[in-house]
Amino acid sequence: MNPNPSQADVCLVLEGTYPYIAGGVSNWSHELIQALPELKFHLLAIVPPNADLSPRYRLPGNVEGITHLVLQQLPLGRSRISQAKKWFADLEEPLMRLESHGTLPHLARIIELLAPLRKTLGRKVLLDSPEAWDLLLSMYQADFPGSSFIDYFWSWRMLVGGLYSALLPDLPRARVYHAVSTGYAGLLAARASLETGRPALLTEHGIYTNERRIEISMSQWLYEKPLGRLSVDKLSKDLKDLWIDTFNNYSRICYEACSKIITIFEGNQKFQTEDGADPGKLDLIPNGIDYAKFSKIQRKKSARPTIALIGRVVPIKDIITFIRACSILQKKVPDLQAYIMGPMDEDEVYFKECQETINYLGLQNTISFTGRVKLEDKLGGIDVIVLTSISEGQPLVILEAGAVGIPSVATNVGACSELILGNALESPSLGPAGSVTPLSNPAATASAIAQLLTDEGWYRQCSDTCRERVRLYYNKGDLTDRYRELYQNYLRAPELSQAVEV
Amino acid sequence: MAGIGFVLRKLVRQDNLTSIFSGYLFSALITTGPWLFTILALGGIGLFGEKFSTLQEMAVFRLVIIYNFSFSLVLAGPLTMVVTRYISDKIYLKDVREVPGTLFGSLGILYAVQVPLVFFFYLGYVDLRDEIALAAIVNYFLISGIWMVSVFLSALKDYGTISATFAVGMVTAFLGAIYLAQGHPHEGILWGFNIGLGIILFSLIARIMAEYPYRNNGIFGFVSSIKQYWDLALCGFCYNLGIWVDKWIMWFSPAAQELKVGFISYPHYDTAMFLAYLTIIPSMAIFFLNIETNFYEVYRRFFQDIQGHATFEKITKNQKAITRNLLESSRNLIFFQGIISFLAIFLAPELFEVFNINYLLLGMFRIGVLGSFFQVLSMFMLIILFYFDFRKIALTLVLLMLGTNGLFTYVGMNMGFAYYGYGYFIASILTFAFTYCITFYYIDKLPYRAFVKNNSSIQ
Repeated sequence: MNPNPSQADVCLVLEGTYPYIAGGVSNWSHELIQALPELKFHLLAIVPPNADLSPRYRLPGNVEGITHLVLQQLPLGRSRISQAKKWFADLEEPLMRLESHGTLPHLARIIELLAPLRKTLGRKVLLDSPEAWDLLLSMYQADFPGSSFIDYFWSWRMLVGGLYSALLPDLPRARVYHAVSTGYAGLLAARASLETGRPALLTEHGIYTNERRIEISMSQWLYEKPLGRLSVDKLSKDLKDLWIDTFNNYSRICYEACSKIITIFEGNQKFQTEDGADPGKLDLIPNGIDYAKFSKIQRKKSARPTIALIGRVVPIKDIITFIRACSILQKKVPDLQAYIMGPMDEDEVYFKECQETINYLGLQNTISFTGRVKLEDKLGGIDVIVLTSISEGQPLVILEAGAVGIPSVATNVGACSELILGNALESPSLGPAGSVTPLSNPAATASAIAQLLTDEGWYRQCSDTCRERVRLYYNKGDLTDRYRELYQNYLRAPELSQAVEV
Repeated sequence: MAGIGFVLRKLVRQDNLTSIFSGYLFSALITTGPWLFTILALGGIGLFGEKFSTLQEMAVFRLVIIYNFSFSLVLAGPLTMVVTRYISDKIYLKDVREVPGTLFGSLGILYAVQVPLVFFFYLGYVDLRDEIALAAIVNYFLISGIWMVSVFLSALKDYGTISATFAVGMVTAFLGAIYLAQGHPHEGILWGFNIGLGIILFSLIARIMAEYPYRNNGIFGFVSSIKQYWDLALCGFCYNLGIWVDKWIMWFSPAAQELKVGFISYPHYDTAMFLAYLTIIPSMAIFFLNIETNFYEVYRRFFQDIQGHATFEKITKNQKAITRNLLESSRNLIFFQGIISFLAIFLAPELFEVFNINYLLLGMFRIGVLGSFFQVLSMFMLIILFYFDFRKIALTLVLLMLGTNGLFTYVGMNMGFAYYGYGYFIASILTFAFTYCITFYYIDKLPYRAFVKNNSSIQ
């Protein structure tokens, strides 16, 4: 199947995650590689400067190599190039378009211009030369003539510098390039596909541009390091937009370059389409769980009706709403038993606030914190799983509980509604497996739980539905097979025609 | 120069003719005061000394002073430049605890490096009586010390005291020299002069310690900045060498003399050039006043607005204001100094008559006036380049002055007496032309330089 044995089958393009940072996307990558031992993987890890490069995972045997790409780190390179004025003039249009409304051909044009000089170019010519300065000025004057120049200067250096740092280094050779997010990872997958003619795939867990947008508006990460005497305290709105537009554009270019655009739940697809993804390329492969293992767990009827919120005690999980819901619920279900299962040490101020609320509402005998638990041991005794989070991706706990036959009540965030109510791909529709409630609405949460605890017919129906849904649509083995199939398809695919001469 | 600039700006801002005039007067006093007092004292001692001492002794005295002045200036150049920068960086960061420590550390290193050289010269090379040699060595270290201490004076706000210190010191030197010459004809003049210099040096040290009453922290903290500012060190050395190289070369001219104790020199050339330098004193006062008032305002606005999130349009406007200021002040200086130089050249015979100066010097004096006219203009632009921290290009220009001055002086010397001084003149005018072109070229690219080339966050 792979004509060149020195070439990897799949190059996973990872930005700031596996194998150096533990987390959801990293776990997913690790499990995917482990589940497909017949394929040779290469990792292209995009890391920030001075990153800690001690692996958090034991790399599976089928990872044949790892290439690091350090963002914002350019070699000094040669001091000048011949016909610099013309070269930069050619670069200006596609580079400007990359800030907004750029397309794959614009990226291809930049790669083409860089190609003959790629090995020797560096910061001296690309960022520090008089021609680069003229380019910066020309871009500033075209789009931001009324903005703070020092802010534009640093934004330009970091955006353009980041772009060059992704376009200059050599790429590993592989039959398929698979980006695990957009942003720089998506940009690199697009570049790899352009340069090699091999197909690129994308799996988006969260929507990168949404996360960036939050990041940009919430923190001053641009200026984490003091930039000497030219330091800056705040970016104006138009320059924040420059950052957002640029990353939106990287997403769009990545969507354009990729043969398949996969996400883990349907709700993301709306954003992907809005950001310019071709609906024909969209695909849905959720994260799955080990159905066989969880479905074997025995239900034990507890003495008291028992509900549980499984998650870390942090504000994003909105534990307070859960506590208030319990207070309302207790009036209907007086012998209620509620657990909060998860570590309490991540935000101690918030944990204290939760405890005070419990004391204030007199729920000391109803709610208890268990700390981190082994889920398989606890699930059997729980009647309803509750989530009150204000933000989620695809919470696996709904699926794990579902396999046991435990219905869930969750807020309408991330994939919760699809997991509980089913998505458009489900046919025939299996119906509800619990309830979806509005955000920070304790009364709605309480009434949905009460219905499950008091209406036995409704409970049985939800319980059967959730088991069935997990068995049919969220069994990990089946979902891994879908990636296996996808890879097989694209490994065999002929070279693409969009490749640029490099 | 932060402190004095502030006082000057306050004086000028009062906005009436008297205060502008007093601004200029004050500026003239602080720029040239120390120099003026020294020349007056030397002249006075020369004038009256001959009544109490022999011609031979007076010649030795004059040569010791010239040798000590010139060599100490060149040899202290690298260290004074680096320490100037180190201290002003510290003051900019409002961290002045190391100021007194640095004073003693730099004096220590300056002396330690020069001890072998100076002792060898006075005890081994020239054939002086021991008591004169000892006085000459002490004199060398006093003068060196004053160069070093002068660096720290800009950190003081009290220029009145500094000028007064020089005045008292030089009056003492004058009186002491005359008094001591009567009992000790050989070394008396020198010791008298030394007493005056000692008063200046130690009063200034005391003044600095009173201003910065800190323990001696970080005595050698500045040493690491020698490596960082090697280009400044080289500038300091080559700049002073460039000023003196023509005199040193002329000491080997056929008309030069060698005292039997071993000093060579060419007093006619030296004297003609010193007199020529006197003509640039008024320009220095004007320049100094402008740089600390008008120029500093536009300079500061340029950088402050950048950090204050100005648009590029505003940055360009500020840059133009800098160019305008430099063009206007250059024009004024050239006009003003041109008149003075023209008058000096035109009226030279009358002046020589009045002050009873040897007519042989007339030709060299006139060409020297022209040379120093261009040299002082180059020096002003060099200071501007230092303000913008364009160190490499400043170094190149300093090397240009050194190279051309050495070369053309040597050529002129071999062409004969009629061409003495032409080498210095040609070197000055060449350096002037290059310095002006390059400075305005750099100012024209100022935003690029400030953001990219001179930005320590990038480089």
